[in-house]
Amino acid sequence: MIAAIRSELTRLRQPRLLLTWFGLMALFAILVNTIMITFVAGGGTLPPGAPGVAFPTRAELERSSGIMAGLAAASNMFGVVTLSMWAVVTAGDYSSGLIRLLVAAEPRRWRLIAGKVVALAIVTAGATTVAAVVNLFAVMPASGAAGISTAAWGTDLLWVVASAWTNLFLALCVWGVLGLVIAVVARSAAVAISIGVGYVLVVESVVKMAKDVPSDWLLGTTLGAVASGGTASVAYGTALALALGYVTLGLVVAVTVFVRRDVTD
Amino acid sequence: MSVVATKDLTRRFGRITALDRLTVELPAAGVVGLVGPNGSGKSTLIRILLGLIRPTGGSATVLGSSVHAPRDYAARVGALIESPAFIPALSARSNLVSLARLRRLPLARVDAVLEQTGLTGRDREPVRRFSLGMKQRLGIAAALLSDPELLILDEPTNGLDPAGIVEIRELLRDLGRNGRTVIVSSHQLSEIEAVCDHLVVIRFGELVFSGPMVEVMKRTREHIDIAPEHPADTARLETALAAGDWSVAAVDGVLRVAAGADRAADLNRAATAAGITLRQLVVAQDNLEEIFLEMTGRVDGELASGRAASSGKVA
Repeated sequence: MIAAIRSELTRLRQPRLLLTWFGLMALFAILVNTIMITFVAGGGTLPPGAPGVAFPTRAELERSSGIMAGLAAASNMFGVVTLSMWAVVTAGDYSSGLIRLLVAAEPRRWRLIAGKVVALAIVTAGATTVAAVVNLFAVMPASGAAGISTAAWGTDLLWVVASAWTNLFLALCVWGVLGLVIAVVARSAAVAISIGVGYVLVVESVVKMAKDVPSDWLLGTTLGAVASGGTASVAYGTALALALGYVTLGLVVAVTVFVRRDVTD
Repeated sequence: MSVVATKDLTRRFGRITALDRLTVELPAAGVVGLVGPNGSGKSTLIRILLGLIRPTGGSATVLGSSVHAPRDYAARVGALIESPAFIPALSARSNLVSLARLRRLPLARVDAVLEQTGLTGRDREPVRRFSLGMKQRLGIAAALLSDPELLILDEPTNGLDPAGIVEIRELLRDLGRNGRTVIVSSHQLSEIEAVCDHLVVIRFGELVFSGPMVEVMKRTREHIDIAPEHPADTARLETALAAGDWSVAAVDGVLRVAAGADRAADLNRAATAAGITLRQLVVAQDNLEEIFLEMTGRVDGELASGRAASSGKVA
């Protein structure tokens, strides 16, 4: 499997792809931090079930963990970016016809999937780092300008940054696997991205707004809870277990489809 | 020993039968031409041999192993399947390095195949800047990467200029002479005729012919191409010759008469007797294209398959 990982990492060294990926992560980190701090400083509250973002209260923002709150707030945005990039890379093998060469070279197809997941997870770690670093640079001036107290932000800084990074990375890997699964099934990046974005912005929001329907198990809610280290409605351990379930189910579907289906592209 | 052997190999796509109980053995070492009209099942056969699709019936072996276990022979097989497929943003070298790593090959092989296919010096350019011919060379380089015993190439000279075609032809011949087996699927019958030692013809998913190229060429016959001095006399000349029991057909602006050099003088006299002077009389040998058309019935495979699909037969 090491061979498949190294091979995939070589193919991922595409400057335009990496610039787009890391650039979007940086852009959303700046955007969400700026909006979040302006919003919280103005005393605003989000309506329940607002799609895509979950802002902290002012008190939460002024805690030591507040310095990284922007990462969790933007986690679903980062998730959509990650889903899209994993889908683009996976579906690209089909649209370019490269899949024929890969399967002919490595007939144990599950290894190709496993190699792709690990390689994309490595790049996702890089993208998470970009988001975390940009978050640190964006949150300080924005907070100062908005009058948010940053006195507690230096406390346990390393631990706060490390746990925020880890939580976001885990959530993004699940988003990415979802993108990979849809791309393997649909063999199209456009379809995968449409389904992913449509789900987060439409389906999940509609379900959340239907008050009689329990929504804590939904993908976006679950992964938002993982990225935040747990929320009031979903405990961290529960969120991790649910995320693991989603990943396992997704990978079983992807591997089953990929191994059994003819390569006719 | 056969490098590829199939027995009653069948593949259906819904109601369409792409391969219909194909039984064939391809000899080891040398260049094998795989030809057939469009939709004859060539690509389906290649895909089955490479483990990309599975047969719905029958059996097949590649280098002695079943196509149901392609991992047993994948390392010994290289392939260029349809059009060359690479990541356009990456350089030729990076694309090959990625495949070398997947196959656990030393990176020295990348330099070797770049040299072999004449790509050294252009290897650091992104593939998106490559012409079709350059991409074709890169596709062949990727196929050669594992120094395979069996090389399967689909239209290897597609997009190459005449010099490139000669170069690749020489490369294929060398590979065939050096103990490797090269299966070449192509529509360019002149190329097949020039490089292949063995020919396999399939049509409608069934075997039409399999045998040494020399045996195929034994089927060639002489013919005489004639043209009247005035083109307006062509139809009258054809009628007159047909009435005189000559087998004649209009082909590419001339009348092609099925006869050898020994009857050229008689033919000339017959034209003169009809009051027509010939401006051209050329004795020639049938080429592989003629034999192919005769074997496959002078039909476009895809058009024919469209007509036959309603009866559930053939892609």
